[in-house]
Amino acid sequence: MIFALWLLPFAGALAIWAFGPQLKRLAGALGAATVLTSFAIALALAGQTFTGRGVKAPLVSWAQGFSFGLLLDPLSLLWVFVITGVGGLIHVYSIGYMSGDRAFARFFAYMNFFVFAMLTLVLSDNFVGLLVGWGLVGLASYFLIGFWFFKPSAVAAARKAFVINVVGDIGLMFGIFVLFAATHTTTYAGVFAKAGSLAPLTVTLACFGLFVACAAKSAQLPLHTWLPDAMEGPTPVSALIHAATMVTAGVYLIARCAPLWDVSPEARALVGTIGALTALTGAVLGCVQWDIKRILAYSTMSQIGYMIMGVGVGAYQAGILHFYTHAFFKATLFLGAGILIHALHDEQDVRKMGGLARRQPFAFWAMTVGTLAIIGFPGLSGFFSKDAVIYGTLEHGYPLLYAIGMVTAGITAYYMCRMLFVTFFGSYRGDVPSAQLGVAASTNPPVAHEAPSGHEGAHAPAWLMQVPVALLMIPSVIAGYVWFGSRDGPLAYGGPGSLWFGYFTTNFATRAEAVQAAVPEWLSTVLVLALVGIGAFVAYRRYAASAASANAVERLRAESLTAWRPLTRALYFDDAIELVFVRPASAIGAAFARVVDPQVLDGAVRDVAWLAGWLGREMRALQTGLVRGYALVVVLGVAGFLVYFAWFGTVR
Amino acid sequence: MSPMPVDVLNYVLLSAVMFFIGVGGVILRRNPLIVLMAIELMFNAANLALIAFSRVYENNAGHIFAFLVITVAAAEAAIGLAIVVVVFRRAKHVDVDDVAGLHG
Repeated sequence: MIFALWLLPFAGALAIWAFGPQLKRLAGALGAATVLTSFAIALALAGQTFTGRGVKAPLVSWAQGFSFGLLLDPLSLLWVFVITGVGGLIHVYSIGYMSGDRAFARFFAYMNFFVFAMLTLVLSDNFVGLLVGWGLVGLASYFLIGFWFFKPSAVAAARKAFVINVVGDIGLMFGIFVLFAATHTTTYAGVFAKAGSLAPLTVTLACFGLFVACAAKSAQLPLHTWLPDAMEGPTPVSALIHAATMVTAGVYLIARCAPLWDVSPEARALVGTIGALTALTGAVLGCVQWDIKRILAYSTMSQIGYMIMGVGVGAYQAGILHFYTHAFFKATLFLGAGILIHALHDEQDVRKMGGLARRQPFAFWAMTVGTLAIIGFPGLSGFFSKDAVIYGTLEHGYPLLYAIGMVTAGITAYYMCRMLFVTFFGSYRGDVPSAQLGVAASTNPPVAHEAPSGHEGAHAPAWLMQVPVALLMIPSVIAGYVWFGSRDGPLAYGGPGSLWFGYFTTNFATRAEAVQAAVPEWLSTVLVLALVGIGAFVAYRRYAASAASANAVERLRAESLTAWRPLTRALYFDDAIELVFVRPASAIGAAFARVVDPQVLDGAVRDVAWLAGWLGREMRALQTGLVRGYALVVVLGVAGFLVYFAWFGTVR
Repeated sequence: MSPMPVDVLNYVLLSAVMFFIGVGGVILRRNPLIVLMAIELMFNAANLALIAFSRVYENNAGHIFAFLVITVAAAEAAIGLAIVVVVFRRAKHVDVDDVAGLHG
């Protein structure tokens, strides 16, 4: 069963790859069916998973300490649910979104391959399998970001994502090497059994390596720069890979390796701090974006920052809950944005939208629900999870991170509402010339705009895209209520110890309780809500209230042109990487091309060739063609041998 | 009464003298026929030494070797003379120093 769960998407990928041209429209159905079947299997295995210590399925063992097997424990089950459940819905959505694309089948082959890779990552019972899955999801991400490979910007984004992810892979390998050197095993069970007896420095080193991997995969500072660019991929890809699942692999890794983080306070502080700074940075940068997908990308980065902060400081349940709710509402947001982009013929700039609430009511409601969930509107899923993360930092003794988390919650409300108001309120601005709105000309060749979701073919029925979004809206609203239900009753507030969600976090149930925080939780919640309210209100005043006014276009243009430059340049992270790594590497490369390659490498080859020629020229004099001369040489040689043996003894 | 045994050294010395006469012939003479004869002389010098040592050590391997050498020498003479004939036909004269087509 667990093998079927794991391999079905891979079989789907292979089948679509092999028979894509024959399958035609069925490729999408096949892709969605395999993923949804995996989801059904996961549901069937859920009971078995909760009762014991998980479903174990050893597969191969090829050396002492190296084995590969599958492990479905509550933690991986939660990820499997999201990967196959949300992933299956996004597959269904993609059938509609990608209809008319020339590479329809290829898209589903990649998507299925991604699901398989992600399942490998979360189902592996050892670090080596994790590393394999880690690399494969990076590869799938590369494929899908560069899916429209005729767009130079997409190719560049795919390459950037891949290179930065490889930095993370190296970090992961480093961490695994350290752990293997210390424990002589690579299975989770083996490593964690010895975690307590390892030297603290060893654990910190390993955690550092693992966290480099998390930072690259989960877009944490300073390795986050690939995520906004990754929005070059088709929107369902952004929803599945770059919002709901792959980018949360870092959260999974830290939660999985909790026994290591428990030992190393330094690693906890590092992860918590980076997570908090990422949450803040992502939120701040989200405030100046105009591309609807880039806004969502920065919000993803920010929300993952929250998750990382949560699991980093030790509030594992809270961080995992935020992953769980975020998968739903961020997928809702992305898929809602996808409906808009689809309807507006690949327009992604919110300045060219406006007034879409009446034209696209379904997308409007989906995006509204998603926005309310992400900003933590009371009662929706994000409210519970974000609050749990923010309060968790305080409970585990990080008041500074707590403050950052609170401020970020306010900024989140501001930029998400800004996106919502600019997109849906006021009047439609798609007919306004770009220059009047301050929209810079696209750097892509114009042909790129026709092909992505090209409308040459028949349109898929609208329900194909609306039903998955509707199904995602439901958990976006109610997913947070798993936080309820304790021994006091099914609706009593259980928090981290809740019965329902507690099933998924049994790995962490035995952990020491958090310290009593100085601020009671209700007060903290009220404070967060106040900041959220302020953020939403500022956004309302700036965008919604004036959106209907006659000078909305001028206001947007003014804001576009006068935005603080460090923010529009994404705080110069790209420039810093360019300056610190790319330029020196290019300079070294140029120096090698100018000096080492022609002088040393080519030079050596040329010298060898010249030596052969020179030897030939010099030696040809010996080749006289005179038989008697040759005979003389033979005789002299024999004479030489004779003299040698006469002097130096006998022939042996 | 058997003939007075001759010291093996004499045979070996004779063999050496014959051999170096052959060497001198190969190196110094320019007529290919003479060169071939000189080579023949060297072969037979070797044969003489083989037979002599064979007698001394009472081992028949030397005899067998000598027969082998005679066979090879015959083959060599056949090929060598054939080459000389071909060269003579092409060049109308026979001088080993003129046959230097392999000059580098």
